[in-house]
Amino acid sequence: MVEWEKQLYFDEVKVGDEIPPISLPLTLQRMIMEAGANRDFSSIHHDTKAARATGAPDVYMSSFFIVGMFERLLREWIGLKGKIKKIGPFRMRIFNCVGDLVTFKGKVKQVQNEKGEIVLDIWSETRRGQTTTGEATVMLPKRG
Amino acid sequence: MARQSKKQGKSITWGKYGTWEGTESFLGKEICYSVGADVVEKGTIRRWLEPKEFDCPLHYNDEVAKRAGYKGIVAPCGMVMTYGVEPYWKPGDPHAKLGDLPKQIPLPVLDIVPAPCTLSFASDIEIEFFEPVYTGDQVTCTSKLVAVTKKELKIGKGAFLKQESIYMNQKGEVIAIMHIAIFRFVQPNGKVD
Repeated sequence: MVEWEKQLYFDEVKVGDEIPPISLPLTLQRMIMEAGANRDFSSIHHDTKAARATGAPDVYMSSFFIVGMFERLLREWIGLKGKIKKIGPFRMRIFNCVGDLVTFKGKVKQVQNEKGEIVLDIWSETRRGQTTTGEATVMLPKRG
Repeated sequence: MARQSKKQGKSITWGKYGTWEGTESFLGKEICYSVGADVVEKGTIRRWLEPKEFDCPLHYNDEVAKRAGYKGIVAPCGMVMTYGVEPYWKPGDPHAKLGDLPKQIPLPVLDIVPAPCTLSFASDIEIEFFEPVYTGDQVTCTSKLVAVTKKELKIGKGAFLKQESIYMNQKGEVIAIMHIAIFRFVQPNGKVD
């Protein structure tokens, strides 16, 4: 459970900090719920036959879904008063498929005092290795 | 992440077929304007949070959102892409017939811009956020083809087509700008099926 009453501040962050990872098991039910919720109804994201016909091992996560999970990863770290400025650029390298446990991770890459921004490396992993890699930019409140 | 499929003898097309001259004729031009199917509201936000097991009170608790500096409940930033998607069917559209192929998400650099390619995959994405999205907002999206970079990869020969999509609210404020790159290609032996 996330303790939302706790707030992270800009001066508490340093380069190299790892942020708490999150994991999500991908079931076909979850993929269908997600397609209905994000409105990307492309067959490859909910129809095994269609996904396999395109060379994928099975139904796989859409870019909308991946962006949403990176948002959850960042939000749970920056708290209610943090701002998400940018997600990406990130590259989708390997399919995140039904049956996978996908873990989303991040690490602080730059702390930009002048702008008050923090740049992070973000990525996702499955048993097949890193599936997406990229970066994100957030802002945190300053004390006083 | 190649996209091409066949169903009941018909092909789901992963891009409009044409020439490279046809592709380049769209470069720098607005290729699509869409109005999102749904106005922002709590029910669609809740359903978006659910499959991600995403519990953040900014997105369902008005008081918490106000204490954090917002005017009220805000949609998750990434939901702007969802709120920019047009309806798959709307009143006045023809009814589906048995055997029709399933509709895919509209993606202007695939559906509107032609290319001499039959396969495609999304490779890179970036989305920058500018304004919060509140319940009651109506999102629109204007897309442009901003780059065509020809490339030969192991999987085939083609080009990366980069689409820029600008999302706005009903007040004309820019909410977010997304860039997505799609590699459109044919297999190395020229085989397209």
